[in-house]
Amino acid sequence: MSEMWLNMGPQHPMTHGLWNLRVKIDGEMILDCDPEMGYLHRGIEKISEDRHYNEVITLMDRCCYVAGLAWEHLYILAAEQALHVTPPERADYIRAMCDEFQRIASHLMWYAAFVQDLGLMSPFLYGMRDRDLVLDLFQSFTGARMTYEYQRVGGVRSDLPAGFTDRARKVLDWLDERYVEYDRLCLGSTIFRERCDDLGKLTARDCIATGVTGPMLRSAGLKRDLRKDRPYSIYKQLDFDVAVADAADVTARYLVRMEEMRQSSRMLRQILDWLDHHPGPVLADRLPRWLGAPYAPQGREGYLLKRNYPKGLGFSSVEEPHGEAQAYVVNEGGEHPYRVKFRSPVFANISAARHYLVGYHVADIPPIMGSVDVCVGEVDR
Amino acid sequence: MTDEATATEKPSDNPILFVAKPMLTAARQFARSLVRPSTVVYPFERLEDPAFRKEVAVAPGKPIGVGAIWDNYRGVHALNINTCISCNLCAFSCPDLCIDMVNVPGGDPKHPKKCPQIDYGKCSYCGFCSDACPEGCLTMTTRYELSTPKRAEMIYSPTRLFEIYRTKLPMNPIRLERPENEDSILLEPPLCIGCNACSRDCPTNCITMVDVTKPEFKPGEKQPRRIWKEPVINDSDCVRCGTCISVCPKECLFWGTRK
Repeated sequence: MSEMWLNMGPQHPMTHGLWNLRVKIDGEMILDCDPEMGYLHRGIEKISEDRHYNEVITLMDRCCYVAGLAWEHLYILAAEQALHVTPPERADYIRAMCDEFQRIASHLMWYAAFVQDLGLMSPFLYGMRDRDLVLDLFQSFTGARMTYEYQRVGGVRSDLPAGFTDRARKVLDWLDERYVEYDRLCLGSTIFRERCDDLGKLTARDCIATGVTGPMLRSAGLKRDLRKDRPYSIYKQLDFDVAVADAADVTARYLVRMEEMRQSSRMLRQILDWLDHHPGPVLADRLPRWLGAPYAPQGREGYLLKRNYPKGLGFSSVEEPHGEAQAYVVNEGGEHPYRVKFRSPVFANISAARHYLVGYHVADIPPIMGSVDVCVGEVDR
Repeated sequence: MTDEATATEKPSDNPILFVAKPMLTAARQFARSLVRPSTVVYPFERLEDPAFRKEVAVAPGKPIGVGAIWDNYRGVHALNINTCISCNLCAFSCPDLCIDMVNVPGGDPKHPKKCPQIDYGKCSYCGFCSDACPEGCLTMTTRYELSTPKRAEMIYSPTRLFEIYRTKLPMNPIRLERPENEDSILLEPPLCIGCNACSRDCPTNCITMVDVTKPEFKPGEKQPRRIWKEPVINDSDCVRCGTCISVCPKECLFWGTRK
């Protein structure tokens, strides 16, 4: 049979979003592939240039819709650096707590979607059910389940409600039991193991060459995690291990993500203990007037700010659930950022598709791409 | 055999165990879900019911995966028209530009009161407007059912928002505190012409016009055309809405730290 190009997407259950994977096939064999992104481009970087520093946060939740709080943290770190603002310590801890809960929620979402790609319906429902518990926690202090708009330049919007840490611990206890259950459902299943072992191999050398980061990189045996290597926020104070696996296949990525969720639980317990014993302010008190969320600038203020406020550059990189995300914010004076630029980890991860798809069969594409954990919102921005 | 041992074990070679073991796991899950269902029978049960609030996390023998709608949920707004001071801050802070200040029926027809009207077709429920409200009259409620067959019905007039306020739904309890050392509105006296525009439009009436002494001019010297009055701003009443800055025809008001 002759070779042909096959379009998987832009609307295909495998894609988990809006992008197109073109594969060149000969019979069932994949000879070449060409990922096409850009169907979900909303111009978030350009829109950010026309928003106040705090209003950009509303865009961050829409940038990555399964890890909104992690992206808020990413942007806020860069913006605070550019604006010379220091948050109170309690706000830093709350943000790290958001990050880790968001990692659990995001990995549970990945788990649910991934096993559904394999045709397993029950684990999908369990994953979604348990993710809902984390979203309930988010809702109790941010006020929303998906678009949180919680973090602000100089801190976070509001303190945690009474009794939050106890509820959070209960949820963690529940989730710790569930991880065992997930492993029993997936790793204990012969069908799962035969489907996923030795599939979608991506060696450490290829990972480095293509800029692949996050759980995919760690599944290839490289112990690289920004929270350890270049600790931002309060991660230096936390005790945790980096999850690594050696096999570099789909099962290894599953193992890394499951271990990461356990490590997140471990970190969260430390953070929650700290939050119990250290009450305090959550928003910096000496902010420029126009940065305080309640007050929008008007009149000649923009002109005056250009004259008076110090300029600055901000760069941050954060270990987001999908990999290493980076943000760059330029403050040229004025109430809007001059330029905002993001580096999406998933963009690099799916751009490397040629390295882990070629040589496998067409029917292997859904599990392999499922194990990448695609979030197209941040790929196209 | 412990759970961890099962999890990491390789698939069995025995053909009966090969089939039976995964099915056993699934059956165990099925049995558990009969005892503890995870679903809410909407619309007969609702997440804002107080019963769910008690069971938000996990309790043995109770529904799991069910979280309450908490008071700080950001749903449809509620507006208290009576305390609204028409300061425009909600409209200015809106990233989606979905808030318009429209006239409210009743009152003085010559100087109608303006209150926010919200287009829920555009609203992103970010809550910046209720954070910005200095009087706490625009808050967000736990109401989330908005579907309507007509697009025009997505636009909520101030009167309609007031009706929601009067239903006494749980309101968002979070009130941001005003930062200390807040900037004030300052005046550049040589530019002021004493036109009274700032004092007239101030929503909190915190600007009073006071007389300034007219300097003595030599005969024949050109005198500035102005009223010899200047605004004095009461910082404790000021809500920092900036209306005075935007209405000032001579741009003589600006933000700064009062010495």
